[in-house]
Amino acid sequence: MTGTVAPIPRATAAQAARRGLRRAATTLDPLATVAACVLLAMFAATILARLVGLGGSPTEIVGTRLAAPSLAFPLGTDSLGRSLVPRLLEGIGTTLLLSVIAVAITAVLASTAGIVAGYRGGRVNGTIMRVGDMLYAFPSIILAILVAAVVGPGQVAALASIVLVTVPLMTRLVAVSSRAVADRDFVAAAVISGVSTPRILVRHILRNVAGTIAVQGTYALSIAILVEGGLSFLGYGVQLPGSSLGLLIKEGTTYMVKAPWLIVAPGVVLVIAILCINVIGDSLRDRLEPRETRSLV
Amino acid sequence: MRLLLWLPGRLLGALVVLVGVSILIFAAVRSLPGGYADVILGSLSSPEARAALAEQYGLDKSIPEQYLLWVLSALRGDFGTSMVSQLPVTDEFASRLPLTLGLGVIAIALTVLIGIPLGVYTGTRSTGGRSSVLGRLVSSIGISVPEFVLASVIVFLFSRFALGLRVGNVVSPATDLAASIPTLILPGVVLAVFCIASTARTTRDAVLGVLVEPHVGAAVARGESKGFIIRHHVLRNASIPILTLVATLTAYLLGGAVIVETVFDVPGLGSYLVQALGRRDYAVIQSGVLLATVVFVVMSLLVDVLTGLIDPRVSVAKKGRWA
Repeated sequence: MTGTVAPIPRATAAQAARRGLRRAATTLDPLATVAACVLLAMFAATILARLVGLGGSPTEIVGTRLAAPSLAFPLGTDSLGRSLVPRLLEGIGTTLLLSVIAVAITAVLASTAGIVAGYRGGRVNGTIMRVGDMLYAFPSIILAILVAAVVGPGQVAALASIVLVTVPLMTRLVAVSSRAVADRDFVAAAVISGVSTPRILVRHILRNVAGTIAVQGTYALSIAILVEGGLSFLGYGVQLPGSSLGLLIKEGTTYMVKAPWLIVAPGVVLVIAILCINVIGDSLRDRLEPRETRSLV
Repeated sequence: MRLLLWLPGRLLGALVVLVGVSILIFAAVRSLPGGYADVILGSLSSPEARAALAEQYGLDKSIPEQYLLWVLSALRGDFGTSMVSQLPVTDEFASRLPLTLGLGVIAIALTVLIGIPLGVYTGTRSTGGRSSVLGRLVSSIGISVPEFVLASVIVFLFSRFALGLRVGNVVSPATDLAASIPTLILPGVVLAVFCIASTARTTRDAVLGVLVEPHVGAAVARGESKGFIIRHHVLRNASIPILTLVATLTAYLLGGAVIVETVFDVPGLGSYLVQALGRRDYAVIQSGVLLATVVFVVMSLLVDVLTGLIDPRVSVAKKGRWA
């Protein structure tokens, strides 16, 4: 048996990635597609505002203080007479950017720790889980405030708090998924054929827990926006003269009696952003972690 | 009793977590920028006065020594003295605990009474179509409205217009239980919204997961009624994730109703902790955060024991490599 075997054509990484993207785009249900479009529109609006000054300058004083919404100022003006539209666009950008960066860091940390913990099991897993438990034991907003007090209020504090709040749960869930994958036959086959451990972790485990990472990453994004909002609302997050959705809502509460429109616009945008992310998360979960759904009852 | 074999390891794990948490808290509090002396004595105080203050609160000792002193006295129930009010931290907490407890009880009661039935309802009627999309959307909105937005709006509506309930002038349940409920109901409801929505979602998922199992199909084949199947076969098997979530929410409510207490001006533990952090009141921050984490660790220990009793397979599984 020394005849040559024709190599099986394998998809390149780029092809696989393209296929994955196409599948993700086509498997979102209608509700999630709407949600994704809304989020993309938010991203587009905030990028346009930064590049070509859509809506005007966020720092320029253009009108009377606390003016009600009008044709010139579609969302009214704030306590200094700045138009709310550019402030809101900048705020959306800050909030989304901070949250996306923080969740990217979380995803890398949690995937690495979770996959190693799930694959090695035993003492490695125990140690990683205990460290996660320690962080998980803090109520999230208290952990966030404590971090912000130590680091000093600002964007770094918001970033660090979001990572510390979202890492433990994601690590745990990735570890559980990795454990299930590590017990399957193809992993044993790879070990027996002498595949190196890093290669097994990336090519066999990571690929099969990517669904869990995507779903949990989406949920982590909605938690990230909540944490940033809460932290800025309490005065420990993004600082003036910057702008973030939480900060705008905090400003809005100060003048709520005189100028309720100041809280309505950022509040509605914040709720819609979180809602869209959660809807996408649910949809991804239904597709990537399918369950049996037919029942006799 | 397999549970007894597994319990010591779990207790040890909880102890390790608590020790780690206490070290984390202590390190965080000691690395807070801006000294306690500036806050209490003002920035123009003399070095002698600062030294005397440090000695009074044991802050002149080495850091490990301070940590040990704190842990040992905390184990005896002595959490030190607040630097701001000069009162024992235990007394400060005791006067605020009833308010936080009252809010937590209202929120959890609403969660259990509304969230779980709602989840069972949507879970057993989720056959796709318009109603399932509507159900998904409603529970998603519930978890998407941040506490601080909802709280601000409620405060605005109820203080601007006469809607029957007043905001502020909170009465502690410890002084007058009947008078305290109307003053706590609004913040309680705001806290409950997120809890109800997340419990409904978890319950729905858990119920859906059990409904497809063969034993439910067998029960249908035996001709048992739908209500009986849901109570006896579905809810019992779906109870573990629901129990875990409600316990987690309870622990967080007891330690962390920070935002709602701040917005509604409820002088409970959460808002006190934020104030203490602003004043660098070391003893209060340390003990407050420690208590919140202890509640959480004890709660998850209780859940694990209950889970082991509900489903003996869980405790067996935990003895293996996974422990």
